[in-house]
Amino acid sequence: MDTVKRVFRIIIFVILALFFSYVLPQHDVVRVTSTEIIRQDFSSVNRIFYAQADSGNVENPTRDIRLINTVKRKTFLLGFIPREAEKVMVYRNEDTGWIWPPYFKFDSSDLQAQAASIASKGDGNNWAIMTHYGWRNRFFTIFPNAVGLKPIDGPDVKIIPWFNIFFFAFLIIGWLFLRALWRQFRQRSIDPVIEDASETWELLDDKADEAKGRFMGWFKRK
Amino acid sequence: MGFVRFVFFGYLGLTVIYWLINIYSRSVRLERLENEWAEGHPDDEGSDARQSFLDDGMAAYHASFRPKLIGLVYIIPTILVIVALVVRNSN
Repeated sequence: MDTVKRVFRIIIFVILALFFSYVLPQHDVVRVTSTEIIRQDFSSVNRIFYAQADSGNVENPTRDIRLINTVKRKTFLLGFIPREAEKVMVYRNEDTGWIWPPYFKFDSSDLQAQAASIASKGDGNNWAIMTHYGWRNRFFTIFPNAVGLKPIDGPDVKIIPWFNIFFFAFLIIGWLFLRALWRQFRQRSIDPVIEDASETWELLDDKADEAKGRFMGWFKRK
Repeated sequence: MGFVRFVFFGYLGLTVIYWLINIYSRSVRLERLENEWAEGHPDDEGSDARQSFLDDGMAAYHASFRPKLIGLVYIIPTILVIVALVVRNSN
């Protein structure tokens, strides 16, 4: 029983961790090298990893996608430990608008122009902090979605993930509230009922014992 | 259309949270009143005087400013969304 419980908990934890690693914003230190637009023919497998057509437009099965090509600094531990090593990274640049995840991003065109402007500064001056969510996966052709771009002078910057700090603090508060709510409900609404039921049960049990005594009595009489 | 859906389901979710907090807050207040009464009257568990004490206490709670603070459940997320909208899309 304990093993079943443990496995169940691990599965829930893994699902939540994957969910948060996809949806929450992360910051990369990048050199913006170029921007481009490709036509993307979504399949049913990778469609959920794309957002939507630009806000105000109609949604078609096939459309053009803005991409931002970069070289990013590698990190350990989801960006907490910076490294010198570099690798290429491609970001898509799509409106999330009013849909999930709630980044309320309507300015994809402006962001693309900003990326082009940073790229045009040339090698060595094109450093930026890229805020994004999502994953890069080559087998399904999915890209993380860029949500913000901030030019910086060099790659040595300290990034504090304020949003994620507040988000997890709020999540813990919400969890504690739900627990308090459940305890209050159990203490005031469920426990009295169970107490009542167990009293009734004891009463029944006593009566049953009595009846059993009488029943056994028949055999003893013989 | 996306905007309408967002507002509808957003406020629907907030209404659920509003009611949960509302019920919890009332329950905690009632428990405190019961404990208060039990301190002064250790043997009394169901008299009319106790009931009217509890009713008065709850009426005072409903008339006070505290339960109205729960309305912040609607106001704070609305402000946060507007701020996020402006910050994200300003150039």
